[in-house]
Amino acid sequence: MGEPDPTDWRSDWDAMVAAVGRDFGDGTVVYGADPVTVSDIRRFLEPLEFDCPLHYDRDAAAQAGLPGVTLPYTAVMSWSIPPMWSPGDPPLFDDDSRDAQPARSPINNTDPGPGPKTTGFFATELEMDFVRPVTVGERIGRRGRKLLACVPKETSVGRGAFLTFESEMVTGTGEVVARMRSVAFAYVPRPAGGWDGGAA
Amino acid sequence: MSAGLPVRDGTGQRYFEDVRPGQPIEPVPYPLTVYRLVMAAGGNRDFNSIHHNGDYARSTGAPDMYASTAFLLGTWERAVRDWIGNAGTIRSIRGFRMRQFNLVGDTTRVLGHVASAELRDGVGVVVLELRSENSKGLTVGPGQVEVTLPVRDAVTAGSPADSEEQTVNER
Repeated sequence: MGEPDPTDWRSDWDAMVAAVGRDFGDGTVVYGADPVTVSDIRRFLEPLEFDCPLHYDRDAAAQAGLPGVTLPYTAVMSWSIPPMWSPGDPPLFDDDSRDAQPARSPINNTDPGPGPKTTGFFATELEMDFVRPVTVGERIGRRGRKLLACVPKETSVGRGAFLTFESEMVTGTGEVVARMRSVAFAYVPRPAGGWDGGAA
Repeated sequence: MSAGLPVRDGTGQRYFEDVRPGQPIEPVPYPLTVYRLVMAAGGNRDFNSIHHNGDYARSTGAPDMYASTAFLLGTWERAVRDWIGNAGTIRSIRGFRMRQFNLVGDTTRVLGHVASAELRDGVGVVVLELRSENSKGLTVGPGQVEVTLPVRDAVTAGSPADSEEQTVNER
């Protein structure tokens, strides 16, 4: 093995590959924007046409032995997303071009660690374990962001790496309600003319 | 019991004793329109533009805007919840692998069947195998969702209906 080839885009990911096993979350809990409310649950249910009274009817929830109306299990991910903007924050929208992106977003790959800067990012795989349902009034946060794998790869959409992270979903008291392992592809989109500008 | 889809009792609740490996769950179609994807982004707070802006999605290499992970997870949960009823619980999701984009202008369908059913410490534990498909084929999964179902008679029940073994079709 010689020195890494600086023209090889894969070598840009060497530091991230070396960081496998590291917890980028340093043990702190990053909480979602708001506690769970019935009205917010409704907005989650509507586009799914998801009709389950556990998620809107307190009596039905009580009949099922639950302490209150519950969040759909898979919605813990959404309720752990921090706010886009809070009072006192600098402007989020400072560019009026049609497809301009907000200055900040808690869901894009804004904390890439030692990996290279990428502009494309989407999830590819998930595993979730649910410890118990979350009820109205509880607040959800994400604890830990342990890197389990980093696999550089070129796909049809671009060059980047598949990153596997592990986190815990916790309540305001620190109780674990779910565990999640997620794989996402962080990448540089393929240029319209190809990587060599279409010269090949 | 119908030959195809399993039935529930008069309360709408499904019980462990009614379950057999191989039984299908009711398929759930989700026509994906711009309107729906915008509602989904507002509801699940995944505002990434790839999920509601076709031009932006294309600039990232995708053919068009496509459904988010949060929405797709919800499609599986709804399909499972429709099947397990209010007394069922969901324990885990495995193999939720998004293989193709679930694009706007297409219908994503969630399909599934009972992979195994087992009584553990008096609890009916069922593993459902789920997948999502659209006009291009398989888009998500196949994955496994482990759920629990109530047992009609927790004292005498021992195995799924018409089965001589307590564990059926283990993963």
